[in-house]
Amino acid sequence: MPPAPPPVTSEGRISRFELRWAIIACCAISAIMVALIYAALVEHMAPPSSVETVDPQTLHLSAEFTEANLGTSVDADGQITSRIVATQFTFDPRCILLPANRPVTLRFASPDVIHGILVTGTNVNTMIVPGYVSQVHTIFTHPGDLLMPCHEFCGLGHSEMIATVRVVPPEDFKPDGQGRARCDAR
Amino acid sequence: MPSDDELARVLAEVPRGALALTGLAVSLLLVAWFLIYVFVFIPRGTVN
Repeated sequence: MPPAPPPVTSEGRISRFELRWAIIACCAISAIMVALIYAALVEHMAPPSSVETVDPQTLHLSAEFTEANLGTSVDADGQITSRIVATQFTFDPRCILLPANRPVTLRFASPDVIHGILVTGTNVNTMIVPGYVSQVHTIFTHPGDLLMPCHEFCGLGHSEMIATVRVVPPEDFKPDGQGRARCDAR
Repeated sequence: MPSDDELARVLAEVPRGALALTGLAVSLLLVAWFLIYVFVFIPRGTVN
């Protein structure tokens, strides 16, 4: 006569339950990882990760972020770049003009404290840390005025620190002879 | 003082309740995460 199987103890039941729950948790984590990998490889979505330093004390004197160079410009190769200085408590310029459905690059720098921006209705979202250039590549799909507030508390005037991203249809995006495009020039 | 049999019977029931509670909580969290991923994050477009 074969020996009787050992009785199932409550410890045994709980161990089995924990093992099953661990498998469910691993499946949930795997599903989220697959979704993130899909976004990164197929949709080309990733956190902005450019590490580029700039001297915050000479920001307005350096070549890139001088006043005349701020705003949207179109390079000779067609690359559209917008340069914005975030400072207590405003953005310079306070409105940037960009075309819809074309790749654009946003470059931000701060001469004073840590700021941050997001563009409403899009995935554009980055910190702006003094000493670094924050760079975001994106494509705006819908024309319209999008708000771009500072989302990092930067002082008493933080709530007033807001700018506009004016996205226009590509046929209405007409840079001037120097390749500059401004909201007030339309 | 419950007997060992009574204790074993209660402990046998405990994982089912825990599974129902954690299963519901984690399911709701996952559903909310994927709804935001599919209907908000992906349509908002590329950024890198």
